[in-house]
Order: sequence, then structure tokens, then C-alpha cells
Amino acid sequence: MREVYVAGIGITTFTRLEYPLVEIASYASMMALKDAGITEVDQLYVANMGAPRVNHQTALGSAVADSLSLLPAGAAAIENGPASGAAAIKAGFQAVASGMDDVVLVAGVERMREVNNLEATDFVATLTHPLAEYIYGVTLPAHAAMFARLYMEKYGVTERHLAMVGVKNQNAALNNVWAHLQQGITLEGILDSPEAMTNNPYVAEPLRFFDACPVSDGGAAIILVSKEKAQELGRPLIRLSGIGQATDTHAVFERQEPTDLPAVHKAAQDAYEMSGLRPEDIDVAELHDAFTILEIAESEEVGFFPKGEGHIALEKGETALGGRIPINVGGGLKGRGHPVGATGVAQAWEIVTQLRGDGEKRQVEGARTGLTLNFGGFGNNVVCLIFVRED
Amino acid sequence: MAREIYAYKCRLCGTMHYPMRMVCKGCKQNDFFEFDTVPLPKKGKLLTFTTVYNLPAQYEVATLGLGIVELENGMRMLGQLDIEEPTIGMEVNGSVEVVRKEPYEDFYGMVFRAA
Repeated sequence: MREVYVAGIGITTFTRLEYPLVEIASYASMMALKDAGITEVDQLYVANMGAPRVNHQTALGSAVADSLSLLPAGAAAIENGPASGAAAIKAGFQAVASGMDDVVLVAGVERMREVNNLEATDFVATLTHPLAEYIYGVTLPAHAAMFARLYMEKYGVTERHLAMVGVKNQNAALNNVWAHLQQGITLEGILDSPEAMTNNPYVAEPLRFFDACPVSDGGAAIILVSKEKAQELGRPLIRLSGIGQATDTHAVFERQEPTDLPAVHKAAQDAYEMSGLRPEDIDVAELHDAFTILEIAESEEVGFFPKGEGHIALEKGETALGGRIPINVGGGLKGRGHPVGATGVAQAWEIVTQLRGDGEKRQVEGARTGLTLNFGGFGNNVVCLIFVRED
Repeated sequence: MAREIYAYKCRLCGTMHYPMRMVCKGCKQNDFFEFDTVPLPKKGKLLTFTTVYNLPAQYEVATLGLGIVELENGMRMLGQLDIEEPTIGMEVNGSVEVVRKEPYEDFYGMVFRAA
């Protein structure tokens, strides 16, 4: 297997975007192509979850290839729920590692603000089990809420801990010009003041408005190349050194231990093993905080903290910028936004930015290794990536 | 006749499934759908729950109670809750009712109430 390097990255602002879906994917990709200094690729993958349903468009691979004048490169769209982005990066890795391609563009894109919030929530809920979950009106916030309640009962996590994740990540987004939410929040405003229940109502008890990521449009792109090509292009040498992916039961209630996320654990273990690193070797991490409780649970499952102690590490500031293992310094899904198909690629974009030392106000000093965790379904399809700076 | 929701029991090894599988997760040996249907029990204990305020399109109610119930036989299922103040561990009884209405189509599922 050949080694695979990152030659370029690009991103659009995450917000409500009044541009066609293909243009959003193309903007991010153009930035990545310019960053790498190339105008041709062998293959491109477009990660997207909802275009056929939300934007009434199919076959995004060919549309984006033509929009970017990359013809006659191979192209395909990859749909893997909210883990589409990292799944597409995995496909790009396989293409380069196998020796079949030397340069692969992976773009993630979603335009879900084209429909109203209720329809967007329904669109994401279509990933649940059709007969055992979807017909009951279950939504992703509902799944996260039922999971959070168990976590609170078992490990002593409180609504305050959840709010602390929200405050940390939404305020971190203020250091990221591409992030959707550009408004600072405080525990006082969303939890303690008399106005808190108005500012921050329940969306699915015990989760409140500020425990959930926003519904965003946006695109992100990354270019994966062989080692020879990477050296030729002369960008910082960042290797995609580990990938793990694991699946779990479609219906969430079937999990043996309902507070565990075994697919997160397995994906991370496989990524560590492939890269020859351990959790304590990771300098900066992007976890999938679509809901605040997920950052806490995932920080344990990927091995940063023992099970049931993620919220304690959070309290001590270990997951903040300057802490032992800074998590979601660019805002995470909570602050940056969550255009579902783009998220896995945007996480990689943030880690590569960090490993290049381009993080500016949110830079983790001396970061040489970074991990992303892209969580699909409600934990039924998880992809973990590890990046290492080599030069 | 009371409506039922069915679990699927593998004819080869007896492993129970809900929801159904095409291949048994226990023995992985089924050829083509060698399962017997067994009605799920209606009694159980509430494992976790939520009240949802931002419902997807199609739901014309303000809030919706949802919960995961551990049934008498140890299997679990998701259902709607018609319970004023749910608590973890409380005993519940289910009945199969309309849980979602779409134009020209009603979907039946389990609704749990306090036992």
C-alpha cells in the first residue's frame, strides 16, 4: 500500500448559502486545487447526503467534475449519511494507496437550507430504521436526547456539562471566519439567567437549543496525492496515516449497552493501529459534536479519557484550546455548522490547517498529529482519520 | 383482533430479531427468510425517554413523547409515549395504534402508557 498525503485544502463559509449546490462544492474545490497548485486530477469523489431529496439533483460527481473543467477525470458521489465526508476521504485514500490514481479530489457539500427546518430535520431522520424508528417520529435530536438521559443517569453528566461543551465550541467558532455561528454565548445566558429558558428552550428533553448544531449549507475539499506528487508540489508534508471505519445496529435501541458507542471505539482503534499511534499521541482532535453529549461520549470512546470521565476532563479545561487534548478548536459542528455531507471533509480541513500551523488565534501550539471522528447515523457508521505532519 | 408487532425468530438457531433481518445475526446460516414471527410482548420497563418539541414535517402536534422500552422477554423497542411524567424504570403497557399519518396511509406502531 502506498503512502497518501494531503496536497491541498479548501472550504466555503458555512451558513445559509444562496448558491447552487454544485457551485458550493466547486468553490471549496477551487480553493483546494489552488492550494495544491494543480489544475488536473485523476479522480474526484463528492460526498453528499441529501441532494437527490433536498435539492432534486443526482449524479453530483459528474456535475462537479464538469463545473471544475476536470474532464475526463473519473468521478462519483458518495452517500454515507452524516459520515459521507470521511467515507469519501477513505475512498480517495484507497484510490491513491492502491496505485490506481496519483491525485484525487474529495469534496463534501450540502445545501439543506433550501428547505425549511422541519423538512431538513425530516430529511436527516430518513437515516433511521424505517419501520422500527422513523414511523414513530424519531429525529436525530430525539436519539441524542434519549442517549443523553442515560448518560446523565449513569455517569452524573448534567445539563451544565452539556452547556459547557456548547459554550466552548460556539465561542471557539469566533476564531474561525468560515464558521456558521459568529455569536459568543455564556453559561449565564443559556443556563443560569431568568431568560435562559427563553433563550435556550428544550428541543428534545434534556437537550436544549444550544446543545444542537445549526442547520448549515457549505462545502469543503481536500486533495490526496502520492508521496512523489506531494514532494513535487512542495506543500507541507501531511500524511493521512490512519483510517478506521465501523458499523453498528441500524436501530439504536438494539445496542447491548445503550451508553456505549462501539462503532466509535472500533473505528478509532483501527485508525490508531494503522498509524502506529496511541490516543495520548494525538495533539488536536475534531469530534462529531452534532449534539453536545456526543463530544463527551466520543472523547471517551476514542480513548482520550476513561469511560464516564469525559465530562470531568471538560470541567478541568483539558479539551479547550491550551488543554491536554484540545477538541473542536475551530468550533466543531456546533459552531462551524453541520452541512452533513461536508462535515467529514471540513473536519479534515481543520486538522490539516492545524498541522500546517495556519490556525491563527485557534492554533494548537506545535500540533504534529490530529484525529477526526465523523459519526454517521446515530453511531451506526463511524469513520476515524489520523493525520501526521512529517516534515 | 388486537394488532401485534412481530419479532423474527430464526428457525435454525432460535435467535430473536426486532427489527427483522434477512440473515440471522446469531448463526448467519439462513438461506431465504427462515424465520418464524413471534408477537412482541406488550409489557416492559422504560429504559430512557424524551419529549420532542421540534417535530419533523407531517406531525401536527406540539410535542411528542418517545421512549425505549425493555420488554418482558428482554428485547427492546422504540415507541411513542402517552405518559404525563415518565421516569426511568417505570412499568409500561403497550398497544398498537396509529403513530404516523400520511396522505392515504396510516402507520401502526407501539404506544406505551403507564402500567
